[in-house]
Amino acid sequence: MLITDINVLVVDDVNAMRVNIRELLKGVGFRTVKVASSVDEAKPLLEADPVHLVLADLHMEPLNGLDFLQYVRAHPAYKTVPFVMVTAENAKENVIAAITAGVDDYIMKPFTAVQLQNKVYAVLQRKKVIG
Amino acid sequence: MTSSSQSNAGQNNSQIEIFIQELEGFAVKAESTLKRVEEDLDGNKGLLSEFSESMFTIRGTALQLGFPRIAEIAELGEELALKGQTATHRAHVRRCVAALWDAQTTVKYLIVHRDSETSEEQQILMNRLQAMLNAFGGARPKVGQDEIEALLRSRN
Repeated sequence: MLITDINVLVVDDVNAMRVNIRELLKGVGFRTVKVASSVDEAKPLLEADPVHLVLADLHMEPLNGLDFLQYVRAHPAYKTVPFVMVTAENAKENVIAAITAGVDDYIMKPFTAVQLQNKVYAVLQRKKVIG
Repeated sequence: MTSSSQSNAGQNNSQIEIFIQELEGFAVKAESTLKRVEEDLDGNKGLLSEFSESMFTIRGTALQLGFPRIAEIAELGEELALKGQTATHRAHVRRCVAALWDAQTTVKYLIVHRDSETSEEQQILMNRLQAMLNAFGGARPKVGQDEIEALLRSRN
């Protein structure tokens, strides 16, 4: 699969972040980037078209990024979909909780387009979504 | 090129203004939470976790949009609010809330005057917030991206 064929889902409760991440992803070659402002808004988007990569914020309400990770991992079609946490959370215990819960990668704010690109390309290759 | 201008590159002024309005919204929410805590220090100190969340959101967004000074003060507010939430003495909660008002006011000011130079007054405030945070036991242990990479590798 080519990068241009990858459908990305971005879940973040801050509009500024959704726009920022979507623009950065489009700038590095992704064509289809869907955005959701909450976990509840994101769930139906998983059903609409296949999603090949999820980028989710950790701190959201009422359901947070870890709740969404659990939902995605329990979904028959998305058990192994690359799931990257994108957050400013740097408190050690919370970072460890996210990593233990099974995120594929963890991107700390602030990040540049190049850092984002390196991270998502690496995880897509590791999970054999792209060659 | 500074990290600030790098982060802002590609975002036009109207986008930045929309983002700033969103940041202001978070600051207003934080202010409202703080008022409720002040009304009943003992009964409502648990609401400081909401204040901390608002400061966390401001910090993350400000960092990504290239406003590090806002992020720095928001982080002090985020950590101090967590200390206040678990403080057992009313006097400690009161001291925290007073400091959080300073943090809140400064964050709001900086969101509006984001391009101004750091004033001596702001630096004094940051030093004071840091000193108070230290007096309450300091911030939670933090990790950087390198340590996160190591944690991810060790898991794999």
